[in-house]
Amino acid sequence: MKRTKITLALAALLASAALPAQAKVTVLGWPGGSEETALRAAVEAYNKAPDTSENDKVELLFFNREGFYDKLQADMAAGSDAFDANLVATYSIGRYAPYMEPVDLGPDAAKVFGDTVLKTMQFDGKQYGVPTDLSLHFMYYRKDLIDALMRDDEAKAKYKEIAKAELGKDLEPKDPDSWTWDDWAATTLYFSKGVNRSSPVRYGTVLQMKNLLFNMMVFQSLPRSYGGDWTDASGAVTVDSPAYRTGLELYKKLYDAGASPRDSLSYEYAETNAAFASGQAATALQWNAAAADLTSAEKSPTVADVTGIVAPPAGPNGRADHIHGLGLGINKNGKNKEGAAKFLRWLATEDAALLYARNGGSPALTPEVVAKVAKERPDLVKLGEFAGKYGYVMTGATSANALSVYELQAKEFTGYWSGQQDLDTALSKTKSGMQDLLKK
Amino acid sequence: MAILGKTHGRLFLSPLAAFLLLFLGFPALVNLVYSVSTVSFETLRSPTLSGFGNYLTVVRDGEFWRAFGFSLRFGLLTALAECLLGLFLAVFLAPLLSKRPILLAPLMLPLMVAPAMVGLMYRLVLHEFAGPVPYYLFEWFGDSPAFLDPQTAFWTLAVVEVLQWTPFAFLLFYAAYLAIPDALREAAALDGAGAWKILRFIELPLMMPTLVIAFFIRFIDGFRVFDNIYALTGAGAGGSTTSLSMFIYQAFFKEGAIGKAVAASVILFIASLLFLMSLNRLARLRRR
Repeated sequence: MKRTKITLALAALLASAALPAQAKVTVLGWPGGSEETALRAAVEAYNKAPDTSENDKVELLFFNREGFYDKLQADMAAGSDAFDANLVATYSIGRYAPYMEPVDLGPDAAKVFGDTVLKTMQFDGKQYGVPTDLSLHFMYYRKDLIDALMRDDEAKAKYKEIAKAELGKDLEPKDPDSWTWDDWAATTLYFSKGVNRSSPVRYGTVLQMKNLLFNMMVFQSLPRSYGGDWTDASGAVTVDSPAYRTGLELYKKLYDAGASPRDSLSYEYAETNAAFASGQAATALQWNAAAADLTSAEKSPTVADVTGIVAPPAGPNGRADHIHGLGLGINKNGKNKEGAAKFLRWLATEDAALLYARNGGSPALTPEVVAKVAKERPDLVKLGEFAGKYGYVMTGATSANALSVYELQAKEFTGYWSGQQDLDTALSKTKSGMQDLLKK
Repeated sequence: MAILGKTHGRLFLSPLAAFLLLFLGFPALVNLVYSVSTVSFETLRSPTLSGFGNYLTVVRDGEFWRAFGFSLRFGLLTALAECLLGLFLAVFLAPLLSKRPILLAPLMLPLMVAPAMVGLMYRLVLHEFAGPVPYYLFEWFGDSPAFLDPQTAFWTLAVVEVLQWTPFAFLLFYAAYLAIPDALREAAALDGAGAWKILRFIELPLMMPTLVIAFFIRFIDGFRVFDNIYALTGAGAGGSTTSLSMFIYQAFFKEGAIGKAVAASVILFIASLLFLMSLNRLARLRRR
């Protein structure tokens, strides 16, 4: 009898330990990395705030990153109520919107984030989330190589010769901050051993060309700066525009000329970082998240001190920088949607956004707000500046099938770059696929 | 005298039968329904029956046949290479291993690593700027091939698969080789047969059932390959390394075409079943 009692007491103790604390709002966040650290800090501050009631305290839940969106989709489609707020990304809002509820972030959200950034969390004109982290692209370049080129008349002459021979244009070396895509292309060709045997580095750039949707996000800014968009105002798909042709042809030209590593068709984020950090590439169009690694003397000793960062080059329509955000929205089937909405409104306030930024998050903030963390987070100044000035979301890129559109483009465009199909075929297949996907 | 009657047998089998019905039978049934339905993530609980349209979509899809061709080529090639290499190692290393059985352990090491990890490992090993293989090729020859470009990716993936799974074939063949009574070899030797003749007329025929089974297992594994390709090249430029499993994964999760993905799985299941049955029939004919 005594043994039974002890066993029951132990079982009760274990069961109580396994139960969650008194938290009443469960938030499913993006696991690992700076986003998790920042969210944990924000939640800790929110739970300690005097006006947060016991019923509104937040508890965090994390899956593994691998296959995150697939698992999230399966969970939400099954009507899971295991979380009240969940992670959402710009390109997947439309896919998850049927299982989510719009959220009112309050009047100050626009002053904190700006309209362009808030738009990354909108679908059908409704706000579905608070934009916690923003991703866009930087043009990383080797300051030492560009400086040497600008100082050397002989090198300048060689540059002009290469630009004329390879691109058919009269170009001169320029400061990277005023590059057009043609200037960038000429620079990459000049710094490629395949074109210029006296180049100090092996490649002029590192193109991310793997058949992967994220690589398409990196690529989009090139056609966009030539006026490209997914659809026109009437909703007709315009991917076969001259803008996309120019962008696709330029990538292929550089790849075929040997300006990017031969394995580029299997490259994504990590490979690009490794290539640039090795010191064998002069430029790389890469995610802003790489800035910390590429300018860290510990992680990238070869290039840390000589890495410059500018916005992507300009086209005839100016500069463009593809933005997509991570954020948190409300699960339609959540048990405490009111509590979740309250937490998200708090997260959209200036104080919360600054706290999130100080703890490693990457929110894109308006110039007035980001100035308050500029000393601790200088990278956020560039992030906010580029997002505000050049940030864009393609028309239809938050629709239900946006993810599939990126996937389709990745498959067809890489098919063209690898020489498996011609440009007309690639664009025609992409257009008809996009027509199906965007009308659904 | 029978220890247990039929009723007892059924009683003891019922938990297993219930388990199989619940965890295999039910999902299989749901899949069959989905394969003849219009269904999306929003309508998982209320699919609409729509006939065999999904099957038609699959068989008319050029990408499906391309993926089928990739899987078939990959499965046949890797199974053949693994069996040939495994057989060679089993016969060649048998004398050494009989004296030093501890050497079996390092030979088995590749089997211990998850295929996805192998993919990630080679992604690093073959990377031009971080991997040791291109590094030494640049050091010694001043250049390195592109291991993962569309022209060479298939062969790189096949080599990676063969390196990981040859030990499996080797283990089976080594066990089969050891099981052959030495008396047979000695008798053949007394009759004047050399090593080659003993291998050709004594050992290989006796190992044949193991060879067929190993080839079959490795073919099925190679045919449904997913993990290491997913980690190394994904679907490949223009879909050039899309295996059938990857086609199904993409249709399901990336396109949200659940009916199409499930219909492709059912076709894959039927094809595997037909292959197994023909192999079985072949074995029966051979025994006669």
